[in-house]
Amino acid sequence: MNFELTEEQQLIGQSARDFGKQYIEPIAVELDHTGEYPKALVQALAKHDFMGLLLPDDVGGAAAGFVSYVEVIEDLSRYCAAVASIVNNHTIAAYAIQQWGTADQKKEYLPGLAKGEVLGGVAIYEHGPTPGVGAEALVATKQDVGYVLNGKKAFVRNAGEAGVYVVFAITDPALGAKSLTAFLVKAAAIGVKVGEKLQTMGLKGCPVADLTFENVVLAETALLGTVNGGAAIASQALAVASVAEAAQTVGIGQAAVEHAAAYAKQRVQFGKPVATLQAIQTLLAEVATDCHLARLGLRNAALLIEEGKPFEVEAAMVKSFLARLGSKMLIDTCQVEGGFGYSESMPLPRMFRDIAGTNLLDAPGDFPEKLIAASIA
Amino acid sequence: MPKCLVCYKWTLDEQDIKIKPEDLSLDASRAKGKISDFDRNAIEEAALLVEKNGGAVDALTYGTATVKQSLKDVLSRGPAKVYWIADASAESADAAVTANVLAAAIRKIGPYDLILCGEGSSDLFNQQTAARLSALLGIPCLTFLQKLSVEGAVVSATRKLEDGTEEVSVTAPVVVSVLSEINKPRIPTLKQVLGASKKPNEEIKLADLGLKPEDLVPKATRSSVKGFVMQRKNVIFKESSAADNVAKLKAGLASEGLI
Amino acid sequence: MPGIIIFSEDSMLAAQLMTPALELKQSLNQPITALALSEADAKALAALGADHAVFLQSAGKWVDGCAEAIFAQVNKAAASIVLIGGTLRGKTIAAYVAARMNAGMTTDAKTLKVENGKLLATRVLYAGLALCEEAVVLPAVATIRSRTFLAPPAAATPGTVESVTVETDARVTLGAVSPTGDTGVDITTAGKLVAVGRGFRKKEDLKLAEELAAVLKAELACTRGIAEDEHWLPIARYVGISGQTVKPDLYLAVGLSGQVQHMVGCRESKVIVAVNTDERAPIFEAADYGIVGDLYEVLPLLTAALRK
Repeated sequence: MNFELTEEQQLIGQSARDFGKQYIEPIAVELDHTGEYPKALVQALAKHDFMGLLLPDDVGGAAAGFVSYVEVIEDLSRYCAAVASIVNNHTIAAYAIQQWGTADQKKEYLPGLAKGEVLGGVAIYEHGPTPGVGAEALVATKQDVGYVLNGKKAFVRNAGEAGVYVVFAITDPALGAKSLTAFLVKAAAIGVKVGEKLQTMGLKGCPVADLTFENVVLAETALLGTVNGGAAIASQALAVASVAEAAQTVGIGQAAVEHAAAYAKQRVQFGKPVATLQAIQTLLAEVATDCHLARLGLRNAALLIEEGKPFEVEAAMVKSFLARLGSKMLIDTCQVEGGFGYSESMPLPRMFRDIAGTNLLDAPGDFPEKLIAASIA
Repeated sequence: MPKCLVCYKWTLDEQDIKIKPEDLSLDASRAKGKISDFDRNAIEEAALLVEKNGGAVDALTYGTATVKQSLKDVLSRGPAKVYWIADASAESADAAVTANVLAAAIRKIGPYDLILCGEGSSDLFNQQTAARLSALLGIPCLTFLQKLSVEGAVVSATRKLEDGTEEVSVTAPVVVSVLSEINKPRIPTLKQVLGASKKPNEEIKLADLGLKPEDLVPKATRSSVKGFVMQRKNVIFKESSAADNVAKLKAGLASEGLI
Repeated sequence: MPGIIIFSEDSMLAAQLMTPALELKQSLNQPITALALSEADAKALAALGADHAVFLQSAGKWVDGCAEAIFAQVNKAAASIVLIGGTLRGKTIAAYVAARMNAGMTTDAKTLKVENGKLLATRVLYAGLALCEEAVVLPAVATIRSRTFLAPPAAATPGTVESVTVETDARVTLGAVSPTGDTGVDITTAGKLVAVGRGFRKKEDLKLAEELAAVLKAELACTRGIAEDEHWLPIARYVGISGQTVKPDLYLAVGLSGQVQHMVGCRESKVIVAVNTDERAPIFEAADYGIVGDLYEVLPLLTAALRK
């Protein structure tokens, strides 16, 4: 077995880091301040084939594989996790179409998504307790030909910029979540309304908003997968997304610990660099270790995905690990940087806010611990 | 339609090289390999020329066994094929040996209309390869170029020298060396990276080049490599009052007899 | 009888080459032949102690085109050592000649001597990170950069001067030659320099550095970015690995971080002073004195303090 990335994966990672340094680093601070969707940057990402990374080359994708994908997400996240979020949400939408779409759906949507000409988004959450419950639940009512969508989706990332959404709706309120079904809805469809952009704590620049559907008429051909088969799709898509989000978390953590280490080497207190103090060494060591171990775990999960093997438990383990330790990585590195690091002109405060978001977002159908326990007990 | 060859060197990244404080020797154990900085500009320039004029670019490198790490990297940056010579002799090869090897290889795989080099390698910066190749191959050379263009068989360039620029032109074949300011190498896209493994690479064995043993004996040998360490007073003033700092600096300058 | 050959198309640099040439003449007991591209240069070099000075007369104006002709002279003199001025043209010619001689070459030697039948030079490696000794078997070629040596005083007896007509490389067509505007500035002769970097936000702000320089009776210098990217100052003022090398008594670096590529051009200065807001900037390790502070605040105060 080989723990190292292949030469290609390494070169892809290097390209992503070079891209991050040249294109993302100069705008990261401003993006965090304005929260404005970085359109030009997304175009640059597309030009470098980052938007079609997982898609096959016959639709214009790079067909790079999932391990390369998480490597790219980690590297982009070192510079700005919000940018990685845009890419990730787009890629999961494209992934869903690639996995469960019909030949016609793939033909219609994938080329645009692969080239980054169209941005993808996934609409899965609702304000109600579970999808399908509550007054605003998104319901897809069967018509003679097709469906009509009514209701609301919450916290849709890439909302307002996406051209197509993978939308999860219930078809039968009596069955509730068991009737969850996936649809492909064009942003331009009549009745699709994007709500006000949320001012999030972090990951600013990746737009987040509610989507309201008012009598949105969908043809049969908008169905993704099978009727009432949406739960399986959502679960799998979210599990895949969670591995990429783990990469985001690790990317932020790695950037933070490198910055804190560099700071500690030159900050002199009591006559020596603080990097020589045991308390500081402990903090840096723990964060570096957590990043390293999480990275190995997520690469393992990514490889399983790439090989088409069961991966949900491994993905849940990484998710659980980082849910506990993700924010701690930034709490600790901020501790290392002390008062100077607390300033918004330093990068750690932004990373602190960003990393809180990568762990909150998206969970597999069950809590990760439940899934892990079920696999062993 | 120029047939271009880019010669490049796989070097250690000097940013990773540390100076050992005990004896000032160099510690390169953590140094990663990279395509020498100015060679990247040469590779990019060749790629740009071919995108504009058609034709193709090959790459050629001579180094130790580590050059194999460079193959996919260089192929992701434009060349259609890379020729490589991996031999232990490269470890101690000086500019004369390197040029002998490269020239012999070029005679074997060529001819080429345009041979591009960086102005010097980022590690040793001997700045000799292009001119030596010109002498060995009997073709003209245009060095230190900030601009390069090809029109049919005519190669035109702008050299940037200490006292100004020179416009020069010559009919191919020609060897050139380029400055870093000639272009900004693009970051390979993912498709270019993935496409690299589909491109051919060909090993050339040193023994097949027909070189005489004396051609491989370095005439210049390096010794006593020592890190350059600044021994300075490091008297740094960082009071909260700029006026205090200035006063202290003034006193320091006076003590040095500078004011 | 083998000899020492010197050549530079730059008159001042050619004169400077006579100093190491004369030392080598002592060690090797071989005559010096100076090659020149003008009669005036040939005479001047003969006056500095070249045993023979040869004016290479050609119709061609392209300096590099003389490379083969220079090799012919090197061959004729059975040169053991060829010293060529390390201008960019000089380095091109030198490497060409070395290849024709089947000889080794050491680029930009800082010191030169003969030891155990080899030419021993010291030079810089890894973009300024290290220094090394390089031993080249004879016959050997070496290039030497401007101001590495000072020109020697006039010799007691000048050498002979002859003129030779040579062919130059007709393959290359020389078109327009555009000299960079002669600003009349040579920062390499300044005793004090105030060097500016990207800490200055706009071109107009350089006035703060100019005022400081005026009160110090210093010249202005700058980093590569200020000259080549921003064009706020002419290239002649750029200090660094591919710019000028300076050794003033005082090098006051303001708003520049002190990267190795810059410092290699000024690290032999007698006293280095730094002003920078970033305590962690490498310049402070390279400085004798420094102020951590905002140049916009510090410079006016410093200028005023020095006026008193």
